[in-house]
Amino acid sequence: MSQAAPAVKSRRRMGSQRRREMAGLLFVLPAMALVLVFFLIPLCMTVWMSFHNWPLMGAPRWTGLDNYAAMLKDRRFWGAMEFTIWYSIVATIAIFGVAFPLALFVERPGRATAIYRTAFFLPVVVGFGSASLLWAWFMNVDSGLFSPAAVAMGLTDEPVNLMATTDGVFWSIMVLVVWKTAGFSMILLMTGLQSVPHDIIEAAHIDGANRFQRFWRIKLQLMRRTLALALILSVAGSMLAFDQFYIISNGGPRNSTLTAVYWIFSQSFVSFKLGYGAALSMVLLVILVIISIAQLWLLRSPTGDAK
Amino acid sequence: MLRTLTRVSALALTVGMGTAAAAQDTLTMWARTDVQNFLPQVVEAFNASHTTQVEVQFIPPGELVQKFATAAAGGSAPDMLSLDLIYTPAFAAAGQLADLTDIAKALPYFDQLSPAHIQAGTYDGRIYGVPFSADSSVLLWNKDLYAKAGLDPEVGPGNWAQIEEQAKAVRALGGDTYGYYFSGACAGCNAFTFLPYIWSQGADIVSADGMTATLDTPEVRGAVDIYRRLIAADAVPPSAETDTGSSFFSAFAGGNIGIATSGAFAIGILNTQYADMNYGVTYIPGPDGQPSSFGGGDNFVVTAGMEDMTAVGEFIDFIYSPEMQKLMAEFGSLPVRGDVAAQALEGLDARYGVATDAMAKGRTPSTVVYNDIYNSATGPWLQFLQESFYGDDVDGSILVAQETMQSILDGVQ
Repeated sequence: MSQAAPAVKSRRRMGSQRRREMAGLLFVLPAMALVLVFFLIPLCMTVWMSFHNWPLMGAPRWTGLDNYAAMLKDRRFWGAMEFTIWYSIVATIAIFGVAFPLALFVERPGRATAIYRTAFFLPVVVGFGSASLLWAWFMNVDSGLFSPAAVAMGLTDEPVNLMATTDGVFWSIMVLVVWKTAGFSMILLMTGLQSVPHDIIEAAHIDGANRFQRFWRIKLQLMRRTLALALILSVAGSMLAFDQFYIISNGGPRNSTLTAVYWIFSQSFVSFKLGYGAALSMVLLVILVIISIAQLWLLRSPTGDAK
Repeated sequence: MLRTLTRVSALALTVGMGTAAAAQDTLTMWARTDVQNFLPQVVEAFNASHTTQVEVQFIPPGELVQKFATAAAGGSAPDMLSLDLIYTPAFAAAGQLADLTDIAKALPYFDQLSPAHIQAGTYDGRIYGVPFSADSSVLLWNKDLYAKAGLDPEVGPGNWAQIEEQAKAVRALGGDTYGYYFSGACAGCNAFTFLPYIWSQGADIVSADGMTATLDTPEVRGAVDIYRRLIAADAVPPSAETDTGSSFFSAFAGGNIGIATSGAFAIGILNTQYADMNYGVTYIPGPDGQPSSFGGGDNFVVTAGMEDMTAVGEFIDFIYSPEMQKLMAEFGSLPVRGDVAAQALEGLDARYGVATDAMAKGRTPSTVVYNDIYNSATGPWLQFLQESFYGDDVDGSILVAQETMQSILDGVQ
């Protein structure tokens, strides 16, 4: 960005700067319109709905803060929220635990690593719906894969009905989620690793830093932003988990794998209480914003330039 | 809106053709795919003999309510619906349905129409839904397995002791053969097939006025215990616990289940697609044999706002004609008009007789919160079933479910 700055008169500079701002504004205008129509307006409508008794059919009735008050006594919602937070913590640790080693493995360029990269990333492009249907079949005790395979290999005498226990459902879905999303985090982390300038690493090497120190003190520090991005995407995605639980477990057994979004869906479209569902969505949104801000704050750079 | 448009276009068509006849009227109708086997036949016959034409669109059962609500809000709702009868109170309460009281009561055979349908179709003393299709819950037993197990293949279970004894006898054949089947993770299936075990003792899980949850009773506990005994005796396949309804029919059709909870609909499918299956149909019995059944099926309803109901009246009268009742019976729906039922079933599989009789004895829960209480995968009914059938603390589970149901009932003004 070179500019013949000092010679130009200040008035003309102001003019060109304004023009540039206008041009910039024009460029982002379509994106802003989309955000307005598909995010801000629906968000305002959701807030508006949350103050009503808004049935799926029939006329809405203004009820003020009643929906929010009812929520305080909604044990199922808080139970679902607790489960969702637990699920998000485990899923995020599991995804990073798999994605980071993979990222280190595929970081260097080369024909072989390109194949590995593709292979690890491939599950990401499978839709969560189709992947969940596949898993639901794998988990079937009679005609699936896991239990019959375990019996055939002699690992167990009795068939194992994974769907019947909370742990069976939870860990089966966890394997699905890691398989399906670790590739995405891997690519993010890989670009982070690659963005660390090579000369800094080399300088550290010359200064006598060992492999672990180079990784922990330099690479990891310099890729804070990528880490923050990968972490926030993973946590936000987990907090909004719905498809896999809806398709595989129906929130069962005995509502033990009910996620927050599943409960919102159930209240809105099974119980037809759209207003209450909207209020629950708002609370989930606020919780998610707080969690995201906390993550950004924790991963802020010591020099304060991370935003 | 849509109706006006179709009317205008129909009018334009007739004018264009230069006929002097009265303007043709088109009525749009939505139905869940469950009635796809016989509704087109009925509509075709109606269209062939009437100037008014009915156009049907089929919608997957899980989407019908949402789709209708969206269409109604946008002013493009269909004129008529074949609606799962349990939804009639909720639709009526929301002001979406036209009052059919006058049309219904004017029918000379009104008192012969299925009481379960009329009861579910009545809201605030007015009739919003009249019977269209019917399906009652029954037990099926596999005669071949009964013979192999040394039981009398011609006599199905008549009370709880016999269910237990016969299920265990079939299970004794060993291997993959089991005595009894139900879809343990399917809320709707068990409302259809497990509620009758409670009803047959004169009890219910909601009080008659719909205000109080009454799960914590010896009758409910008794019905739970027979299932617990069957499960403990290994007479129920392990996969039943987690079946969300996908094997509700196919488990029995597979040929290695002795007794299965099912519905009249199964008779039609078994006869046409599993011709080799040698099975019997009997009532869901009480402890000492009193039969009970869930009267299910669809109500015929009309969207609120229709002014000229003449054509609707014609269509309703047409459905109840002996010919149509027979046609629908042939294609898998039980007759809904008592005085022509025998005529409609003449020449058909005798097993339909049991199902029709079960329908006449049938009950249907009538509540605006049917989905919350019974149908929801996250609702108290399914949680109660799973915990009390398979859990360790039956009494505790019953109390918790009762409390949840009560809070839902309290939410209805």
